[in-house]
Amino acid sequence: MEIASINSLSETEFESLVETIVNDPARHGQLTELLHEDHEIYDQRGAATTVRMRGWLLIGLARVGVSDEALIFVLEELDTGTDPYLVAAAAHALRAYPKPTEAFAPFLIRAINNIRFRNDPVSFEAYGEYAVDEESTNPVAELLTSLEWLESRARGVLPDLEALLDKRNGLSSSLQAQIKQTIAFIRTPDEDSGDDCCVLPAALRNKFAWNLDLRRRSDQLETTVFEDHNRDLVTFGEFFKGRPTIVVFFYTRCDNPLKCSLTITKLARTQELLKERGLIDQINTAAITYDPEFDTAERIQGYGRNRGVSFDLRHRMLRATDGIEPLRRHFKLGVNFIESLVNRHRVEAYILDHRGQVAAVFERIHWNEEDLVRQATDILQEQSVASERKTSVRKQTASPLLGTMFSIGFAFFPKCPICWAAYLSVFGIAGLEQVPYSPWLRTVFAIVMVINLASVWLRGRATGRMLGFYLVSLGATAIIVAKFRDSWAALAVIGILLTLSGSMLSALSGRKRKGVTNDGGMQIPPALRRW
Amino acid sequence: MTTKSKATKKAKSSKRPRSAKAAMAVATSEQKPVKQRVAAMAEVPLAVCDSDKDLQSMLTVLTNKDEPIEVRLAALQSLQAASFSVIAFESCRSDYIAALRKVATDPDPELRQRVLGILAREKDGYAQKKLLEGLQKPEKALVPPEKALQLLSYDIHAEAYPVARAIVNKPPSDTARREALRLLAADAKSAPVFEKLLRDKDEDAEIRQISASALQGLKPDKLQQNAREILLDDSDHDEIRATSLTAITQFGDEEEVSKDEILKKKINRISKKGGSKVKQSARRFMTKYGR
Repeated sequence: MEIASINSLSETEFESLVETIVNDPARHGQLTELLHEDHEIYDQRGAATTVRMRGWLLIGLARVGVSDEALIFVLEELDTGTDPYLVAAAAHALRAYPKPTEAFAPFLIRAINNIRFRNDPVSFEAYGEYAVDEESTNPVAELLTSLEWLESRARGVLPDLEALLDKRNGLSSSLQAQIKQTIAFIRTPDEDSGDDCCVLPAALRNKFAWNLDLRRRSDQLETTVFEDHNRDLVTFGEFFKGRPTIVVFFYTRCDNPLKCSLTITKLARTQELLKERGLIDQINTAAITYDPEFDTAERIQGYGRNRGVSFDLRHRMLRATDGIEPLRRHFKLGVNFIESLVNRHRVEAYILDHRGQVAAVFERIHWNEEDLVRQATDILQEQSVASERKTSVRKQTASPLLGTMFSIGFAFFPKCPICWAAYLSVFGIAGLEQVPYSPWLRTVFAIVMVINLASVWLRGRATGRMLGFYLVSLGATAIIVAKFRDSWAALAVIGILLTLSGSMLSALSGRKRKGVTNDGGMQIPPALRRW
Repeated sequence: MTTKSKATKKAKSSKRPRSAKAAMAVATSEQKPVKQRVAAMAEVPLAVCDSDKDLQSMLTVLTNKDEPIEVRLAALQSLQAASFSVIAFESCRSDYIAALRKVATDPDPELRQRVLGILAREKDGYAQKKLLEGLQKPEKALVPPEKALQLLSYDIHAEAYPVARAIVNKPPSDTARREALRLLAADAKSAPVFEKLLRDKDEDAEIRQISASALQGLKPDKLQQNAREILLDDSDHDEIRATSLTAITQFGDEEEVSKDEILKKKINRISKKGGSKVKQSARRFMTKYGR
């Protein structure tokens, strides 16, 4: 069954699909593909169905093993999940990751604190099954088992675990017993595993940035109209072009306090940071609703104000008047819908450059406000570097022209005072007859021509593009050869043209590209190359 | 000791509340009369979660179909009262939810409905699945359709909109249709349906009022526009005109309304000649916008 055509699958068919994938090692990667929120399989499904499907995919991962690509989805659920089934399934799946790491412990303890008051029974026995008896498991039990799996690598969270033993914390006696057992496991001395302390696998960083020349253009959104919190209309081009913008997505009916509500609160804190650093007038902020049909201007304003967001012309909360679809396509938003209502979304923050192009994205795991501002500042600085580069390109264009002029001078320099007089008579109209014949000029032209040749060679070596140098060398040779016989004057013209084109080519060619990098300077995994 | 003082002492001791442990023993004992057990259940909420044994005994009473229904309902009430103290109840929640799911399909309709209500308020996926199943296949319904819709409306993500729309189009009863419309009041796609119902003079007044209220949430501009037209139309019913007047008075754009001379003139006339209900609303409007 092709994954591309499965949006109409019934839940029973979906269950069989997962079973088929689990049983075929060559297709295990498809489990991760199916976890992307924007996958069509979630289109027009309700939130409860989406939970059942995603939970079953996580259980599938637990059976086949969690890859680096899949791990981010597991950690995302631990970081921001509030559904007992999904959190329990994520905790269960985490133990199928081949290498337990110290960095997982904070995710697990945070998840315990997030879910403990909704510690509902869950069942992994069959698809869509809800636990109705005591033999079932629950999210806190699964999270504790995962901490046990980390063994001594979870030492950093021992104080948090011990705090859970406090009588006032009210965990059931069976969970209290499990906590004691987990603490004992963690305290067991073990041999040094040689793991990198506290570092997530490299492919898991939740932040991706793109080089200026690899960003996706935003032209198709140019005329997209937004209504802001004050009911004022503004187009994408008007608001997002001219300076970098920090953009977050949310919707007011989101019932996960760790997603939209926290995102908008974090946006308010980001604005405070921008104020402190004197950047508030140089970097815009925008919060765009996923649910423009329901989220009226009044609603989004109230939602932002209650969470401390500051508003002005450069800091707005927006709803797309013609729906979310164009934005969803452009940003490749991690969201899906049942009709106009969101059924699932990820946490996502974007930084757009001064041309409105996506320059960086923070996704799935909660972003840090400091990191976001730092990245936005880099993008702001990149704008001034770009304008400096423009000036430098103008200079680079002027320099080969000058070199070529000297080559022309050398090629057509008169051989004697009589030829000089003949040239001057041609230029008589301009009154140039007063210029005396200066034979030393020929030497000057020749020297400058050689300097130009050397400069083109140096630039060719630096950029790895030597074609310009070869053309200029050929041109210089032709000019020099043309000097030996008067009848070869046409060769001088060819030489000049070759010099001119070689010099221009050298000046305008950039450095050879070496690939897309994320913030760590690493190659972005193919699965994450979305722009 | 005199007989009088003995009697006073006896009376005092009979009023002294028994210990929670004693109450729990009575509440969970099959040997005790139903009335006594029900009374004891009312005394135990704070103790339900004190020990695993007590919790399991209470849950056994709740899930045991052979227990008298009065006692089971009292046990449910006691557990529900205990669950209000979220932190104290944390250790019991998992078993409590599992027990509720078990009872959600109980043969007793009252117990079933109350349990489904508790689970629906918790946005429990199991309860939502059962309720939706019942709406799609009436033979599997655990509660009447209007109740199922009401319970599903606790969670906007409960995927109930398509079913609710189907019920509006082909309602099994008037009550079910009304509940379906109430549920759709949060569905942005249903705004045109509400607009049509609001303007339909043959429609029931309650349905039209539900539609006005839904439009206020979904498309406030549309409500204002329609309310104005209803007020200008003398042939429309007083009840709906009163609702329209309230909408304009409370939520209308003050600047726009105060410039609307035609509307003001019309409302002025209503305030003098309209029915009593609409007259009152018109006077409120005139107080705000002057004459």
